[in-house]
Amino acid sequence: MVLRVAGLAKRFGAVTAVDAVSFQVGAGEVLGLLGANGAGKTTTVDCILGLLTPDAGSVTIDGLAPRDARAKFGAVLQATGLPAKITPREALNAFSHLSFPRKRESNFLLERFGLTEKADAPYDTLSGGQQQRLALALAFIGDPQLLVLDEPTAGLDIQARRSLHDDIRVARAEGRAVLLTTHDMAEAQALCDRIAVIAKGRIVAIGTPDALAAGGALEDSIADLMR
Amino acid sequence: MSALATLILLSLKLNFRNRMAILYGYLFPLIFLVAFWALYRNDPVPLALHLGQLVTITVLGGACFGLPTTIVSERERGVWRRYALAPAPRWLFVASILIARYVLLLTAALLQIALALAFGMPLPAHPLVFFIAFTVTAIAFMAIGLVIAMLVDNVPAVQALGQCIFLPMLIIGGVAVRLESLPTWAQTASAFFPGRYAVAALQSAATGSGRAPFELLALLLIALAAGIAAAGLFRWDRQFTPNRAWVAVALGMWVAIGVWNQARPVAVAQPVKDTKEAGTPQTYAAPAVARTWRDVTDADIARIAFDRLPPDEGIVSPVARPDEEPDPVLAPQLERIQAALPGWAPGNVADPVQRARNLLLLAAVPDLMQMEQVERFVPRLVFARLQTVIPPRDLPKILCWIAMHPDDGGDAAIHTLQAFGLPDPTGPATPFHGREMLYAFKLLGRLTGNIKAPR
Repeated sequence: MVLRVAGLAKRFGAVTAVDAVSFQVGAGEVLGLLGANGAGKTTTVDCILGLLTPDAGSVTIDGLAPRDARAKFGAVLQATGLPAKITPREALNAFSHLSFPRKRESNFLLERFGLTEKADAPYDTLSGGQQQRLALALAFIGDPQLLVLDEPTAGLDIQARRSLHDDIRVARAEGRAVLLTTHDMAEAQALCDRIAVIAKGRIVAIGTPDALAAGGALEDSIADLMR
Repeated sequence: MSALATLILLSLKLNFRNRMAILYGYLFPLIFLVAFWALYRNDPVPLALHLGQLVTITVLGGACFGLPTTIVSERERGVWRRYALAPAPRWLFVASILIARYVLLLTAALLQIALALAFGMPLPAHPLVFFIAFTVTAIAFMAIGLVIAMLVDNVPAVQALGQCIFLPMLIIGGVAVRLESLPTWAQTASAFFPGRYAVAALQSAATGSGRAPFELLALLLIALAAGIAAAGLFRWDRQFTPNRAWVAVALGMWVAIGVWNQARPVAVAQPVKDTKEAGTPQTYAAPAVARTWRDVTDADIARIAFDRLPPDEGIVSPVARPDEEPDPVLAPQLERIQAALPGWAPGNVADPVQRARNLLLLAAVPDLMQMEQVERFVPRLVFARLQTVIPPRDLPKILCWIAMHPDDGGDAAIHTLQAFGLPDPTGPATPFHGREMLYAFKLLGRLTGNIKAPR
């Protein structure tokens, strides 16, 4: 398994944001973490990436603690941006100089994520979709074993969403483990090999989309679980 | 290229793409320079005596506004959250931003100095020491800027907190307004602000001895404390609330340095109770009964309250201490005045009272025209000349007479001062009479033993 999360808990004062969360993601697998707003998805992701220190439980990425495994994962997070006047080429060049043992060439990433034409355009002139594709390109710089995508399609138009979905499928085909958080059930059903449903900070169900649907409509089943 | 060099270069590039950053970083320091040049246009050497102030203002603005604004706006945009995920130590990102900011401050200061040179300012007397003082100042203020960046959540808050530090330092901290011009309480308060030490260290290297070990040490300690505080407050993301108790480490050092400075056995600040008004003869003495200067008696002189005179270290009628050396940059100007004195016709007229008035006028003009430092040394030359050209038995009587009758006599000499390299004053001569009166009292007090110099 690339990612192992066991008994994860995080409290903010009296509020328990995440409680006893456990799951694993293997190579070439997309796990969807599905939940309503405020269910604990982003807190879980922040703990997995080492941005928050959990109060209990453990997270390992390829056997390492998150802070020692930064070269092994790439992430696309909410509320994560770049300086307004930086260009995609400059951003990729700068990040490629950091300590990644395996690096992807900037030009290769610009081409792969369809940013060649905008390679020298300031970040604040890129569309939302282009900005998100640049974030994905940055996540790929270290040729990561694990991709963590926190609601990557939020706010994107249909074309940009489809494009990003294709990128996720390619990542899976390349053998990468992908953790995708979303509150969009259709997206989860279309992309994920397994879905973990999180509600009020706890994993209330985990399984394949078919198993969760249990013969009925997935959306209805998950909506029931999330109540 | 290394990661650090790449990030520094990128920071610099991004800065130069930001119009507001260029405006604040480069244009404002030049505006300050032109303003100082205009304000102190009567200085004998343009801007040299204010270089410490000008460069401190530049560093202060760039470090306490520019630096935290960059960091906080990037953190608001989530840039630092992205840095936090990179497989690189956090010091790498902080160091790249600090080094880039240092380069920006250095280029801004060099640009400022280049323009000052074009206005006629000489090169700093000790260039290497000046560079060291600049670097130490930049480190201290950047560390303070880091504390601001870690404390506040958004850019408007940077402006608010930055102003809370910037304005007091400018006004009562000895940065924009020279220490000598501040009231006693502000001089005391200024010891608790870092700006004062930056100005002193830089100015010492620019026109003084180049030795300011206490000031440099104070700035390094302030930098160390602020650096520790910033490390304790450090956060990648605004959602994390820093432990604000760390601020006490930074501010505690300001207080400690201030207390240490107050306890030092050197008089760095003198009480100033001046007002711009020189007063009238009756402010200092009972009305005279003598009808001519020859009738002045010891009793008339005894009625003078010398202790009411403005202090020699103040801004009204200042006089340098006998053991005080002028800045080397002033030497040519003072030598020129001393050399021109014997041949100056108004200083040799037959009437001894008018002769003394004319010589006192030479001290009064630089004082009223706020020719900083020159105004403090010219009276020494004038006092010496008066004792040469007026018989000793007459000089006390004449000085007392002039002091009690400042508006008598002619003012034609006022337009002959170009011989000394002094400006030709415009407007009424009356304000100069008040300063002539004060200098007459001050020399009289010295001659009669009523004023012990240094005071």
